[in-house]
Amino acid sequence: MKKQTLILGNGPCAVAVAENLLTVGSKIIIATKDDVGGFIGYADSEDLQILTETRLVSCQGSVGNFRIEATQNNKSVTIDAGRIIIAEEDQRTSNFSLYGLKASSNVIPLSRMKILLNDTSPEESVLSEIKKVIFLTGIVKESTPVIANEVMESSLLLQKEFNIQTYILTKNLKVVGDGLESLYRETKNAGTIYIKFTDSLPGIYQEEDTIRIEFVDEITSRNFRLTPDMTVVDETIVASPYLTDLTKIFHIEADADGFVQADNVHRYPVLTNRKGIMVTGPSRGILTDDDQRIDAENAALAVTGLAEEEMETKLEKAEIHSEKCIQCLNCYHLCPHHAITLNERVEVEPDACEGCGICTANCLGGAIRIKNLNLQAILHQIKTGDVAQAEQTFTPLLVAFCCSRSAVQARELALCMGHELPLGLKVIQVPCAGAISYDHIFAVLKNGADGIMLLTCHKGNCHSERGNIFAGQVVKLIKGIFSIIGFEKERLSIQTLASNMGTEFSWITNRFEKTIAALGPSRLMKNQWPENQRRPNMKGNTG
Amino acid sequence: MGDKNVLVIGGGTAGLSAAVELANLGVHVELIEKSKFLGGHAIGYTCKAIENTCVKCGACMVEEKLQSAVFHPNINVLAASQVQNISQNNRFSANIRQESLVIDPEKCTNCGLCLNRCPMEGAILQGFSKNNHPFYAVNIKKCLYFKDRSCTICRDECPETAIDLDKKASEHTIEADAVLIAIGFKPFNPKDKPYGYGRFNNVVTGLDLERMLKQSGRVKKPSDNKLPQKIAFIQCVGSRDAKLNHLWCSKVCCGSALRMARLIKERQPKTEIAFFYMDVQTFGKDFEPFYREAQKDIRMIRAIPGDIYEMDDRRLKINFVNNSTHETKEEIVDLVVLSVGITPVEDIGTMSRIFKIGPDESGFLRTDHNGVFTAGTVQGPMSIPETIANSGSVAWKIKKYIDGLTIDD
Repeated sequence: MKKQTLILGNGPCAVAVAENLLTVGSKIIIATKDDVGGFIGYADSEDLQILTETRLVSCQGSVGNFRIEATQNNKSVTIDAGRIIIAEEDQRTSNFSLYGLKASSNVIPLSRMKILLNDTSPEESVLSEIKKVIFLTGIVKESTPVIANEVMESSLLLQKEFNIQTYILTKNLKVVGDGLESLYRETKNAGTIYIKFTDSLPGIYQEEDTIRIEFVDEITSRNFRLTPDMTVVDETIVASPYLTDLTKIFHIEADADGFVQADNVHRYPVLTNRKGIMVTGPSRGILTDDDQRIDAENAALAVTGLAEEEMETKLEKAEIHSEKCIQCLNCYHLCPHHAITLNERVEVEPDACEGCGICTANCLGGAIRIKNLNLQAILHQIKTGDVAQAEQTFTPLLVAFCCSRSAVQARELALCMGHELPLGLKVIQVPCAGAISYDHIFAVLKNGADGIMLLTCHKGNCHSERGNIFAGQVVKLIKGIFSIIGFEKERLSIQTLASNMGTEFSWITNRFEKTIAALGPSRLMKNQWPENQRRPNMKGNTG
Repeated sequence: MGDKNVLVIGGGTAGLSAAVELANLGVHVELIEKSKFLGGHAIGYTCKAIENTCVKCGACMVEEKLQSAVFHPNINVLAASQVQNISQNNRFSANIRQESLVIDPEKCTNCGLCLNRCPMEGAILQGFSKNNHPFYAVNIKKCLYFKDRSCTICRDECPETAIDLDKKASEHTIEADAVLIAIGFKPFNPKDKPYGYGRFNNVVTGLDLERMLKQSGRVKKPSDNKLPQKIAFIQCVGSRDAKLNHLWCSKVCCGSALRMARLIKERQPKTEIAFFYMDVQTFGKDFEPFYREAQKDIRMIRAIPGDIYEMDDRRLKINFVNNSTHETKEEIVDLVVLSVGITPVEDIGTMSRIFKIGPDESGFLRTDHNGVFTAGTVQGPMSIPETIANSGSVAWKIKKYIDGLTIDD
């Protein structure tokens, strides 16, 4: 029996999510920090409950079993949910300051113009007195197709319904959206004049009630001065500040602009770093109405899908051996999927664990295990003398720790494409580069590696978000140790790859082979070779 | 659960993504693909990461979808297959013709000997992904055996006896509760534009460049395989073009071209790059910082060139009008990359006929009625991430339809 799904928000996107889930008979609970908003007319039922004026405070548990504490009118409420969908609306800030303007009766933000156009009939409108309107959009800061669409639609209405001459001043006109190029043509045909700036900028002057805009037109090279009756200033769409609270409450990633969802292709369209928490529409970025509807359907799909339960069982999960746990809490702080819980003991939530191994690599007590990641299993794959040595030439033993999502796949592609790879290359597959610890690297070095590579996903492409960054830190530290003890730093290398980079995999590994071949065998090894297997260029070195 | 069947026509990003979503919901999927390799155009795209950082082009996502689809127990794939006709009587019944694949996937080990030994260039085709299995296919349009039976080298030398040049095409009947048309797009063919595509070797399309970078990791001049000193990208070729009545922005070209331009600057830093454009379109959340960096390295020229001539030394002369001076200017480069637009694929005609649904005014196809659905760029221009999102939403609609939860108007 599946638990109810919690939907956060009260706007069109939240309503779309709810509608989709209700259609398939899911139980939902809606919590909005404001009033019912778009849910007006919805009555509580067995499948639907609406909590208004409700702000979340904390969240425990994991996918299938979230327990959320919230406050509703200063009273606390507890919500149990199996899945959570964040669908909070975004906000807008007017760009007056970007253009050095102040709001006034004839300098208005884009939203205000939309209201003027919607509210009144042409005859009664304040717009009836106006002859010339200028839109300023994307001149100082790049615009977005969502804003461009609103600017062009407003301009079209002003031309057609109000017979007002409109000018759109912009840099790059954003037509990257369904129907926007057609709309652009339509506005031009209706009489809108576009003035585009490339390297120059217009001079914008506000004196009491008049606005003066002066510029050199880049096409005709002529000086122009426009004195509009009304100036419409574009807006920047920003994330709701409530999202900052939610990212903390849920331990989920946000992007640089405060929208929930890291800018990582593996999260598209609606996933977060936490299983069972989805994010849609205006909570994850600047999206058109169509894209918000698509998000709502994807969220419903993710909630309904059996996929997670069925497929993830194949993953090796982390296990904590509590007798070894020294409660350093590294696992709790570093787990990118927030799959470690603190009860009386530190525990792994198996349903939330994605098996990345970041916890094992950073466990000070050596208490966390993931099958296939333990040293013995890995060292079993690397044995001195594994690499056949030809007479007089040195074939280095190169150990590449490869992320299963990227470098392992890239290697297979390289082989398919017929690229030659180094003879002495040994690949050790890891679920994530973040699973590689100091122990792994030193053990492999001790076991005969002449060179070690960590081949990770590119930054911003790590399924566990920071696994590749952790790997980078490990490499940096060990290189530091190498330089102190006078061991060649070049023997350890970290590179990034994607699954489709077969050619680059061969470049990187072959280049590394060259580097290591030039260095010669690792001196950690020189006495471990049986006499009859000594490598040729070690002769005279062993005395 | 499990007794519903969906026919997905097209094995590109959209078809694969929707198939995987449906299959994850326990729906059985029959996926048919016209070409010999799954993955559509995008499986040939290169990873454009720079400074070890992902730039979110989405190319690796196509690889991931392909991998999920080919190993999914609920998905059955038929490559080199096309719908002959279809009838609907509650369920759909489709007759599928599968061309001979010649190379037996059960036996082929992807050793590549067939390609190495084949005397005819282009007669053995190579896949783009390790999940294209077999990684090789016989192109019967070029193969000498199919021309006059004069050559059987590949068959004779294949160590696994995986090649059967006499293998016949086969017919299949697929019963389905719903059909998804995900037949993708046609890259605009720029041969009629005055840019010399098809006549001058060193004029290539953005797609050609994607594949070149994926194959060899570098950009080279097709004429002599040497590194170009100077490259020009020309945007909006076949998009935003009133003369062609192409009143749409293809959405993906600014992102693809600027990302490739920066990748080239990183790998071949001496290359000079000029970028001819109308308006730079937003792509991705990191557009602003990305574009700022791009402008440092790449010369942005706001003009669409008039024409291109090849000079005696095979360099290319681009003529354009400078906006501020109104003078005709010229730019001499070694390689021109045309950012060709996304246009409706010809098979939309066939699909319209088979399913009795008409394309929109631009020629793209969009429907979700009576058990027939479309997803991806058959609906119009979309980036890879957008296609994946679109396909998820369509998979959801299909699921609701086959479960009887959709009320058709």
